[in-house]
Amino acid sequence: MLALDIRNLNKKYPNFELRDISFQLEKGYIMGFIGANGAGKTTTIKSMLNMIRIDSGEVRILGKNIAEHETELKQEIGLAFGGVDFYTRSKLKVMTGVIKKFYKNWDQDTYYKYLRRFKLDENKKIAELSAGMRVKYNLALALSHGAKLLILDEPTSGLDPAARDDLLDIFQELVVDGEISILFSTHITSDLEKCADYITFIDNGQIVASSEKNELLESYRLLNGSESQLNQVKDKMISYKVNSFGFTGLIRSSDFDSGSGIRAATPSLEEIMIYFARKEVMYV
Amino acid sequence: MYNLVMKDLKLGVNPMFFLLPVILGALMLIPGWLYFIVILYFCWITVPGVFGQFKAHNDLMFTSLMPVTKKDIVKARVLVIVIMELLHIVMAMIFGMINIQLYSSLTPFFFGPHLGFWGLCFVMLAVFNVVFIPMYYKTAYKFGSAGIVSIAAAMLFAGVAQWIGIASPVVSDLFTGSGVQNTGLQILILAAGIVIFIALTMIAYRIAVKRFLKVEIL
Repeated sequence: MLALDIRNLNKKYPNFELRDISFQLEKGYIMGFIGANGAGKTTTIKSMLNMIRIDSGEVRILGKNIAEHETELKQEIGLAFGGVDFYTRSKLKVMTGVIKKFYKNWDQDTYYKYLRRFKLDENKKIAELSAGMRVKYNLALALSHGAKLLILDEPTSGLDPAARDDLLDIFQELVVDGEISILFSTHITSDLEKCADYITFIDNGQIVASSEKNELLESYRLLNGSESQLNQVKDKMISYKVNSFGFTGLIRSSDFDSGSGIRAATPSLEEIMIYFARKEVMYV
Repeated sequence: MYNLVMKDLKLGVNPMFFLLPVILGALMLIPGWLYFIVILYFCWITVPGVFGQFKAHNDLMFTSLMPVTKKDIVKARVLVIVIMELLHIVMAMIFGMINIQLYSSLTPFFFGPHLGFWGLCFVMLAVFNVVFIPMYYKTAYKFGSAGIVSIAAAMLFAGVAQWIGIASPVVSDLFTGSGVQNTGLQILILAAGIVIFIALTMIAYRIAVKRFLKVEIL
């Protein structure tokens, strides 16, 4: 079953456009949604959730169309845009007291379990929590209302390496039973290398790739060669950098002839992102 | 919807704004004053105060994350406004009754705090609502221009009503003269005011929902 099924989502702004966004997430997996700043990650997520009016396209979450079942689906989705940053002068206890009333499946025991697990003190004010703790508080809230799909926008940005690692471990634990699915956007690619099963890569409002992590990495080649070799592949490359030793650049595996003698390696997610971002600079 | 109202009352509206109607209501004890001002304080202080808090605390985003419809978001907020308005009017009415006991020998220049006058106050708030609520829901967070225009409209209504009350012998008689003794008539004016208040607030709500459906939550 698909936890998330986005098809041909379009949204036009005067200076920016989401074009034909389509991707699917199987239930029980973690999908990383990556892209540079301003690539359209948050806009896509907000469009999926009906927070932004889309021009065309269809969004199905847990098998149901969000346009028709918005409130029903929001009962089963845990949403977080970063950490909690509303009513930050209120105590967690007060905030939770208000929020839990909205959810039919709220489980107070689960809530306390996660508070203990995340070492959150209910009597603290939200403003007193660190960025990482705010993300964890948000997660505790989402998990306590029995969310089947977690949609998290940049949950790890701004966290220290230890807190990030801890959070990623939690993500992996959550999906073990196959009941919960997670979509999280980030520009920190190392997070995804640690825990994502699938990667969806967005660049300038378009989905460049959406596939299993290793498949995505294998579909590109990082080339390294002399300047004379560059001329052989120049036209097919996504982008490249020239230095005094020759060039380094990214190419689609399908466009690369392994018999050409150019040194090729599997790129990291970060390299893929960088060379895609560079592509735009080169052609502007 | 009930949850949304409770959310506003518990998190959004500072407790000070529940106490304010009592303090402002006490202004009714000033003899022979222009009592429209007592209710106008709601528009001048409570509205910017409360809506400023909503904006500062990113309430729109918070509410949008909850499993509620956009229609209910507007309905709940309108209800919160009405609750605050009623709080102001009811407190002022209570102090108004004391006023009548205290200053029965005075012949006021402006409208006295009789039932008919409260009917006019309901109409004044209706004018405020019908301008403020639809204008606010163009963005659902900017309250500045909506506040200015709606407060001006409410004040204009109060000014014109009071002017007619002084200039026209018939109206003057109705609200400050012998008409005051006619309880049936006074209740009728109050009831008419309440009906106008409900009708205009409902219209405001409907326009606001239409506008809010187009708002993008950024």
